[in-house]
Amino acid sequence: MTDADNNSITDRAGLLALVKSQLAEILETTPDEILEDAPFADLGADSLALIELVEALEEVLSAQVAGFHIDDEDLEDLTSVNDAVSYVAAKLNLA
Amino acid sequence: MTLPIALDAMGGDFAPSLIIQGARRAVDELGLEVTLVGVPELMGDPMGLPVVACTEVIAMDDEPGSSVRKKKDSSLVRAAELVRDGHASAMVSAGNTGATMASALLRMGRLPGVLRPCIATPIPNPGRAPSTMVDAGANAECTPEMLVQFAQLAAAFAGARFNIDAPSVGLLSIGEESSKGNPLVKATHELLAATENLNFFGNVEGRDLIPAPVDVIVTDGFTGNVALKTLEGAFKFVFSTVLKVIDTNDETRKAGEALFPYLLPEAHTLTPEYQGGAMLLGLNGLCVISHGSSNDTAIMNALRVASEMHNAGVVEKMRLAIRPDQG
Repeated sequence: MTDADNNSITDRAGLLALVKSQLAEILETTPDEILEDAPFADLGADSLALIELVEALEEVLSAQVAGFHIDDEDLEDLTSVNDAVSYVAAKLNLA
Repeated sequence: MTLPIALDAMGGDFAPSLIIQGARRAVDELGLEVTLVGVPELMGDPMGLPVVACTEVIAMDDEPGSSVRKKKDSSLVRAAELVRDGHASAMVSAGNTGATMASALLRMGRLPGVLRPCIATPIPNPGRAPSTMVDAGANAECTPEMLVQFAQLAAAFAGARFNIDAPSVGLLSIGEESSKGNPLVKATHELLAATENLNFFGNVEGRDLIPAPVDVIVTDGFTGNVALKTLEGAFKFVFSTVLKVIDTNDETRKAGEALFPYLLPEAHTLTPEYQGGAMLLGLNGLCVISHGSSNDTAIMNALRVASEMHNAGVVEKMRLAIRPDQG
């Protein structure tokens, strides 16, 4: 867990930091290496890595929004870090 | 107290009946502790074995990732959770391979520093310990860094599982020279040669798979899976041809009767039932993936392998192989 994981997410920037930190942990890299517009494929994130990311985000964000859930049907539309952040931001009603 | 092995009673072409029979045999013949994980209404007689009840089954054709997320009370997911929570020493399943891998990965997690888990498959070597092929199909696309880790994990596994001191590692390629191969193989060769605490032999070719001159053969999951399936197909062809020739006339049938007592034990060691299954390496727990067509003998052997891996401390040895500073 990093600071980004522990703090309550109140805006898109905080959410981006959370997604970057979680994805960096899964891909054994640093958040700085995760660019916002990077496609998951270019980062080496395969389908299982994305499911790891989804489960990690659900766990962290459930503490903020009870029962927070990402629909599996929506996963195939999320092809980049930006997609994931925008999708989750919309679910959380973040600016 | 000995921890039981969690067995997915619902996974496999012959589940649940032959899976449960295999568990019963493992208890009776090998003295192992086994806990069945399954749906009681679908399992039939658990043959006196303890059962952890669940309500869902992941089918062989279910999509691996989403099925693990949707069927959280499935036998596969529950079996992985038993290992994660310290209630089982290992999990064994003959069910959906992808879902088994996803369940184990998502519930047990990766060992620190591990990029991706990989599948290790023992390949028999007449007269000596099997060689270990990795990756046998988990990762179709790999980087050189991933292949180096697969080599480290498989070497730790082979050392512990088969009691081999400094297992030798070969890189599957299209020629023995370091200059041979595609960009992935050439870059991996360079990295492996520079990796400390790894007994790198050099390149090996497809003809070296059986018998192998090395203890570990490393390749990407796409190539590894094709190579293994090719071997399986070739074995089947050779066996069926030999049987056909023996059945030609009375004279050849008589020769067969003389040969069978010598041939069959050798042939038996080449079957999936004898090998027990493939191992998922790189996770914070043990997982044996049995062949989908596993019968009771295959399941008994898979449980034996899981027990031997636990007793050999394979997880801890893999942890140290990736992060030697944490020893």
